[in-house]
Amino acid sequence: MKILAIETATPASSVALGEGGSLAAMSVRVDRRGHVGFLVPAIDFCFKQAGWDRQDIDAVAVDIGPGPFTGIRAGIATAQAFAAGVGAPIVAVSSLTVQALRAATGHRRIWSVVDVRRGQVAAAPYRPLPGGVAPDGPAEVLGAEEFRAILDTDEADTLVVGDWQALPETMWGGLHRVRRGRPRYPSADVMLEIAAIRAAHGEYVASEDLRPDYMREPDVQINWKTFRSEGIWP
Amino acid sequence: MTDPLILGIESSCDETGVAVLEGFKVRSFVLASQTEEHARFGGVVPEVAARAHVEAIRPLVHQALASAGVHPDQLDAVAATRGPGLIGALMVGYAFGKSLAWTLEKPLYGIDHMEGHLYAPRLEFESYEPPAIVLLASGGHSQIIHVREWGDYETLGTTIDDAAGEAFDKLARFLGLGYPGGPVIDAESEHGNPKAIRFPRALRDRPFDFSFSGLKTSVVTYLEKAKLDGTLPPRADVAASIQEAIVDVLVEKTFNAIEETGVRAVGGGGGVLANRRLRTRLREEADRRNVDLFIPSIQMCTDNGAMVAAVAVDRVRSGATPDAWDSDVDPSMRLGS
Repeated sequence: MKILAIETATPASSVALGEGGSLAAMSVRVDRRGHVGFLVPAIDFCFKQAGWDRQDIDAVAVDIGPGPFTGIRAGIATAQAFAAGVGAPIVAVSSLTVQALRAATGHRRIWSVVDVRRGQVAAAPYRPLPGGVAPDGPAEVLGAEEFRAILDTDEADTLVVGDWQALPETMWGGLHRVRRGRPRYPSADVMLEIAAIRAAHGEYVASEDLRPDYMREPDVQINWKTFRSEGIWP
Repeated sequence: MTDPLILGIESSCDETGVAVLEGFKVRSFVLASQTEEHARFGGVVPEVAARAHVEAIRPLVHQALASAGVHPDQLDAVAATRGPGLIGALMVGYAFGKSLAWTLEKPLYGIDHMEGHLYAPRLEFESYEPPAIVLLASGGHSQIIHVREWGDYETLGTTIDDAAGEAFDKLARFLGLGYPGGPVIDAESEHGNPKAIRFPRALRDRPFDFSFSGLKTSVVTYLEKAKLDGTLPPRADVAASIQEAIVDVLVEKTFNAIEETGVRAVGGGGGVLANRRLRTRLREEADRRNVDLFIPSIQMCTDNGAMVAAVAVDRVRSGATPDAWDSDVDPSMRLGS
């Protein structure tokens, strides 16, 4: 089964093509902006590199977040259009899971975090299994203090992966059971592994149900403060 | 290729619009408006808009192709708005359009949203040809454009503060009429006297430019004083007088441009052109001066995918260079640059 994976949930964008557990081509760029400029040339590059035709693709995998919103939307729009163009089904993948799977070595419980700005991270715990990881609790948006409080009560040896550098260095003091490690960002080659398993089980998402996992409501500011909203008439 | 088949995608603000054109003939036209989602905030919220676009885009493209009876492989090109507009909103439509074009091995044309408005009358009037003076007025823009040739535009006038649609929105809020301002003031004005209050018409000394912030201040000052004096007029009169002031300025400046250039055709586009009083006044003034008027239907004045595809018709016919695959949106795109 040939899979195209698109990853834009963090500043590290990547595209990968893979088949049966082997990577056929991959393109990566780290840049907070510019997902729209990167994606199609990267896809084009990968197809040329692999010598594949667009129609060869059996499934498209896309990272639906959590992560910065505009990047996720660029990835989803690109994946939707490719899938529509060749008639391929879509597999939706979480950025947190992608990072946890890459990190899964050893016995430590994994906390996977993604920077969602404003001093907060999206975070979820995973348990290592032979050959993979399994979710070990719900994903949440946490500030440094909340995350620290959770880690303080955790009895297990823990590995924190993802963009933990987004959190203040001071929050880590005295956490003896906690180590911080890599990867810093999710990447498309790891998505291929997840997508291959999901696709083999037919776990596709209907294109009308495919949407970002924002984990946060939009910031809404009503700027027009000078005027009263209720009007002047009684 | 005289009548190319083109898919057009518009997502610069709060409407997701998709259409299929065959030359300038509209084969399908679909639109998802987000007006209600923004109404509770009294204006367009960029993040809310971007979220709605990403949910709407795939189903709308599917619907537009299906109702046109066009298979994606039959398309000659894909057109998508590249700017100006809200960056997060633009990115959704442009990324979708670009990926679809690449996948189908078709050219992609990134379109200037404002040029789309200039082209919209071509979809409804065969005789609409340059040279023309076009009034573009919406929530984000107020401009008078001299269309010398297709692709050759001169911006004669622009707003120095609020756009006309913005003025409608803010004043409608102040009158307690809700959102969006244009339609609610239009409706309220129906029962009002447009001559009840004489609000100022700004920038008399600059023939083609607009300013609406003075009107806003004037309305607020007038009403607060009237309330204290106990002489508050009926709301419909205030609404009609505000509308008259805005319409007066838009009409006057448009025909100043006609006078100045000697051009004999007026076009229009943008959401404010849906205002009934503006449409009537433009018609009266055009008739009085014996000038041709090309104001499209309301659905073609407001943001839509057909106008975006329309610009690409000429591009395809002339063999223009498509967008490079690494191109990105341009939220501050300027017409003619």
